[in-house]
Amino acid sequence: MNLEKVIFGFFIVLALTLNFGYFIGDMDNPAHHHVYELYAAIVVNLIATVLKFGDRTQIGAVHLATSLVADLQLITAAILFAAVSGTPSEATMINHVVSLSGGALLANIISVILLIAETVTLRR
Amino acid sequence: MRTPLIAVIVSFAIAVSGLSLMPGAVIDGEVSRLTLFEAFYIISYTATTIGFGEIPYAFSTAQRLWMTFSIYLTVIPWFYAIGKIISLFQDSGLRQAVTTARFARAVGNLHEPFYIICGYGETGALLVSALDRGQIRVVVVESMQDRVNDLELEDYQFDIPALCADARLPDVLLKAGLRHPMCAGVAALTDHDQVNLAIAIAAKLINPDLKVLARADNEETAANMASFGTDHIINPYALFGDHLAMEVHALGTYLLHEWLTGVPGSSLPSPACPPIGRWIVCGYGRFGKSVVENLQRENITTTIVEAEPELTGCEDCIIGSGAEAKTLEEAGVRDAVGIVAGTDNDINNLSIVMTAREMNPDLFVVIRKNHRYNEPLFEHFNADITMQPSDIIAHECLAHMISPLLAMFLSMMRSQTNAWANQLISQLVGVVGENVPETWAITIDYHHAPALYNFLSWGKTITLENLLRDPSNRDNKLDLVPLLLLRDNQPTLQPKADLTLRPGDQILLCGQPSARDAIPLTLSKYKALSYILDGTEIPDGLVWRWVSNRFSNRRKKGT
Repeated sequence: MNLEKVIFGFFIVLALTLNFGYFIGDMDNPAHHHVYELYAAIVVNLIATVLKFGDRTQIGAVHLATSLVADLQLITAAILFAAVSGTPSEATMINHVVSLSGGALLANIISVILLIAETVTLRR
Repeated sequence: MRTPLIAVIVSFAIAVSGLSLMPGAVIDGEVSRLTLFEAFYIISYTATTIGFGEIPYAFSTAQRLWMTFSIYLTVIPWFYAIGKIISLFQDSGLRQAVTTARFARAVGNLHEPFYIICGYGETGALLVSALDRGQIRVVVVESMQDRVNDLELEDYQFDIPALCADARLPDVLLKAGLRHPMCAGVAALTDHDQVNLAIAIAAKLINPDLKVLARADNEETAANMASFGTDHIINPYALFGDHLAMEVHALGTYLLHEWLTGVPGSSLPSPACPPIGRWIVCGYGRFGKSVVENLQRENITTTIVEAEPELTGCEDCIIGSGAEAKTLEEAGVRDAVGIVAGTDNDINNLSIVMTAREMNPDLFVVIRKNHRYNEPLFEHFNADITMQPSDIIAHECLAHMISPLLAMFLSMMRSQTNAWANQLISQLVGVVGENVPETWAITIDYHHAPALYNFLSWGKTITLENLLRDPSNRDNKLDLVPLLLLRDNQPTLQPKADLTLRPGDQILLCGQPSARDAIPLTLSKYKALSYILDGTEIPDGLVWRWVSNRFSNRRKKGT
């Protein structure tokens, strides 16, 4: 029972789930996308990125790459949201925020798939 | 590195979410709250201790309570993280890796012939400065960081890549360019024989054709090095004894040798002729042994004074350090003609010669100087000959590094008479002045002297005298003297001025720096060469050449 692997897996899966939770729902309905969930997704994604530092294997490199992609997309979404929230164009611009978070979702899915593959091949 | 970053992220997360949830001021009957973005903005400038103000409205009590809590929560992890990241960049392992990589890259970018010098002590410093003046590139490997710092503070013409590492490690030598196609040689000049031996072996194994010069203080190390083919083994003590003998019987030859292997631009020391008679030699170590052997070969009787005869293997000597008057009396200082103070302690040496001079003011004094930092004492004392191991090694290395022709010239010179050497010296002084001249070699082949080579292959006759003319004014002669001509592996000393040049010749020249700069013009520019040969100026551009051809053709046809 490896505590480090538990924490590593926990944060990666949590990042994916929070991201998915934010993304799901009608794209143009702001009521379906709570900003706090986006915020939580950003925080947990950043922590997951930091946890992926320092791994020198090929799989570690791809993990880090996907995490950075997800960070990039989510932070862009947050900036866009901060810019348009409160303004009348929020109703239309919310689409863009959600689609960016959708991109981040794909990156997180790839990261989780890599995690599963790593775990399955390890078997110990 | 992970912990501080995660601490920052978590503390920020808590502070921001808390601040955005806290009830704010009541505006138009509604409780206003900060949005997430505004909360993030406020916490950002709070954690980094910038501190603007409370935006957009003044905070309510609840918000201020939370702000107080988040100030302490975020500022501490922030500074912890910054401190950790800065200390990571200062990690010595990282720094060393970056320095080594930069060094290897600098060496890889060299595209001129260069020498690897291992050891930047007094000898290394002297040699590097001489090579730098001679426009020869150098790479330095030295194990003490202080000395590498000294090198970086020196004002050299060229950029000298230097690494602080143990030169014994083959990996270090490889990074310094042992396998580089432009590497011309390795000089192992460290203070320890074992290290020099290791460097010589590594060089010979990895790159057998490379020239290796190594310093060897002990006989066994020297023999060891010779056994696997080290090109030049330099034993400063043996060399000094040899030079002393040269000074006794052929002063002119010795002077010429010193002159040609010195640092260009420095002044020559005035010559001193050691007298023939009975000499006292104090100290029978390696230095003493070499001096005694050489002096006895010149038929000079010696009396040896040695403090520990069993240690050094001296059979017939006076026991004592030589610094007391009593010992010197016993050795017969009053009727000796010369004294050699050759112990490895500078203060002892100075004490010996001071006592001796007091008892016999006409003594010829030869003193061994071990450390450069005692230079003021030795300068003040002004002995007739001061021997410094590092000078001798550096001069010997220079003799081989400047050009193989110079080494050939110096060894041929030994077999000439003293009168010949004196005549050459006066000729050189007349042409290049009293300071140490620059010495360099030119090769007449397509790469180094395209114009000359082409002219020769088209059948033009060019003599050595033409080469010695100033390309800017053919009536002036350049300040240089040709010393040696190598043709078909046959060396000729002092080639005559009317010698016809042939492709493949190599000539050793000696002269002023201005002459050294002018020669490449003669060798590679057609215009300069044809001007020197017959005073005609070849036109520069295509157009004028065509025009002048047409005119000269017309004149030839008689129109």
